[in-house]
Formats: sequence, structure tokens, C-alpha cells
Amino acid sequence: MAAGRGRVILKTVKEIIVQFCPFESNVRGAREFLAAVGTEKARLTNSNCRIVADVKHDEMEPVIAVTFNGRGRRFGSNCLRNLDDGERLVMKAANLTTREMLSFFTERCFAKDPQAQEMASKKSH
Amino acid sequence: MAALCGRLLRCRGWFPPQQIVRHGSKAVTRHRKPMHFLRQKLLAVTQYIPPKPAIPERCIKPRKGEVQEPSGLEKLLRREVEITFRENKMITVFQNNSITSEELRRLRHRLLKHDIRMKFFPNQILRSFLADTKYKNLLPLFIGHNIIIVSKEPKAKELMKTVRSTTQISLLGACIEGVLFSQQGVVKYSRLPGMQIIHGEIVGGLTLMTAQTCQLLQSGPMHLAALLEQYVKQQSGAATGLKETGSVEQKETLGSQGS
Repeated sequence: MAAGRGRVILKTVKEIIVQFCPFESNVRGAREFLAAVGTEKARLTNSNCRIVADVKHDEMEPVIAVTFNGRGRRFGSNCLRNLDDGERLVMKAANLTTREMLSFFTERCFAKDPQAQEMASKKSH
Repeated sequence: MAALCGRLLRCRGWFPPQQIVRHGSKAVTRHRKPMHFLRQKLLAVTQYIPPKPAIPERCIKPRKGEVQEPSGLEKLLRREVEITFRENKMITVFQNNSITSEELRRLRHRLLKHDIRMKFFPNQILRSFLADTKYKNLLPLFIGHNIIIVSKEPKAKELMKTVRSTTQISLLGACIEGVLFSQQGVVKYSRLPGMQIIHGEIVGGLTLMTAQTCQLLQSGPMHLAALLEQYVKQQSGAATGLKETGSVEQKETLGSQGS
């Protein structure tokens, strides 16, 4: 179980682009995801994260693209290699519910955040 | 009597034929007297069972859906919605991505400077109202948290300028003067020049066409006239040329005769 499952933590996220056409009938999930991610609490967890709502009228399916932080390997230093490598998570929101998308997203964020994992392991011990 | 009772009590298992009721409760009491068991049994056995029809009623009668009357608040909100849609020429729908109340207050203040108002209505009432009007194509927009921004005059430019700085709301669609616009449509509409400039351009274009017509009509005859002049010149040139050669020949003959 991810720590703080109800909350959205954007520490490891660089950018979230939510693209949808509002006149379609299958955009409920995408819109609610945008509203959940755009809350003040979520945004305060990472002020550098860009949340973009791309509203188009092209009858395409709604798509949510999340780009995680990527630093890559640092040469000539003793620090641990960073596991985030600019990974992209693309969710096609036409047939997904908000809850499913949020749970998957928070799972991914938790997996990429070593601090949160330490906290969770401490709590469990 | 006492001797008889004593003899009866001695031989157990035999009950006297007469029931002694002198010490029982009266027939008419102040409290509800429990019905005698035998009477209960009798009434149960002789209860009326009405005859059942061949087809039960619930198979024949159509089920009536319960129609709930709208409450006072719903009627009031519906009236508000009607007035809003009737009076305002520009109606835009924005999605509210959890904007903070402070930001909302600031946005409202900036919009009021241009006489643009913000309205909030429940989705259910909006949907029930819009389904019967000409705005039914706006129906799919009303999902989740929305803000309706309206204005009596279509002020798309000012609206876009004010809203550009706010990231927490996004434009979904608009209905300006009875025409449905998407987000790109509203952006293009806001970039259009003012009405006066457009009028000037149209007038200029039309007068240009009429000026050109005059020139066009005259060009044919003018061309013909130029051609005829050219022909006349050529003819006169040829005639003068013949005369000259004739005079030159005369001179030559005169010269030869003279010598």
C-alpha cells in the first residue's frame, strides 16, 4: 500500500499534459483527473511541476501524458545513480475511470520516490 | 350444598356440568378485554376471503413512474438559468481545476471591471434546462466542476487576456451570439479586429469592385479605338509613301527628259 494513498504527491513529476476534447462523451475520467491533480495541496508538493490542460476539438481520445524527472547519471561523483530517467507514462483515458488512473499514477510516483518508500518501511517496522 | 361439594372434591377428575361464572369479569369492562380463544378461532375460520380475478391486477396495470415535483430552490435556480441565458450574448464554460478561493476572488474582481460575470449552477438543473433549448449542443460540457462566465456584450478579447494568467481554469467552449465555439474558435474570435475596421474593409472592397467595373466596361471600346487609330496611321503612312515615290519618279523622268 502506498503511503498517503488519498493524496497526490508530485515530487518526482516534471510535467503533466492532459489532452481532451470537451464535446466528446468519454472525457469524464480525464477531466476529473485534471481536477484532482490541480488541487492546491498537490501543486504545493512540487511547485516546479507543469500541469497543462490541452483542450482541442479534434474528436481524438483523451490522453494523459506524465513526464517524470530525469537527471541521468552523474559522472565523476560518489552519489547514488538516480533511478528517474525521464520516464513517460501515457494513459489513454477513454475507457479508464478516475480512480484507476489516480491509483496507477500514485503507485508510479511512490515507486520513483525513495524517501516515501523509506517512510513507508519505517512505519511498517 | 357443602356436603355435596366436599364429596365431589374427594373424587378427582369429575367436573360439575354447570360452569361457575359468578367470580369472572363482567361483559362490559373499562379496559379492552382479551377475546376468548374460542371466539378468536371462530372469527378466523369464518373470515371473508374475496374471490381472486383470473389475471392479477399488477399484470395488467402499467407501472407509473413516480414524478417528483421540483422543490422551490430548484425552481428558483431554473429561473436564474433562464434569465442568464436569455440576457447574455456571450456564454463561456470553463472547467474549474480546484481553483483556490483567493484566486477566484481576484479573478472575479478583474472580470467585473469589464462587466463580465461569473455564475455557478448545479449540473442537473443546467442539463434539464438546456435539453429543451437551442443550446443543447453545450450539454456534454457540463461534467464535474464548471464555471459559467457570461457577459451582455461579446468581450472575448478582454476575457482571454484576464483568464490567460490563471492556470487553474481552462476554457472548454462558448456560445457567442447564438454561435457555438470551441476553444480555438474563441481564441480566433478574440483576435478579430473591431466592427468599425471590418465595416471599413468591406466598404473598401465593394467600392474597389465597382471602380474596376467602370474601367472594365471602358477598356473594350478604348482598345478598339487605339487599334483603329493605328490602322489609320498605317494607311495614311502608306498613302504618303506612294505619293512620295510618285513624285520622285516624276522628278527622275523630268530630269532624264531635260538632259
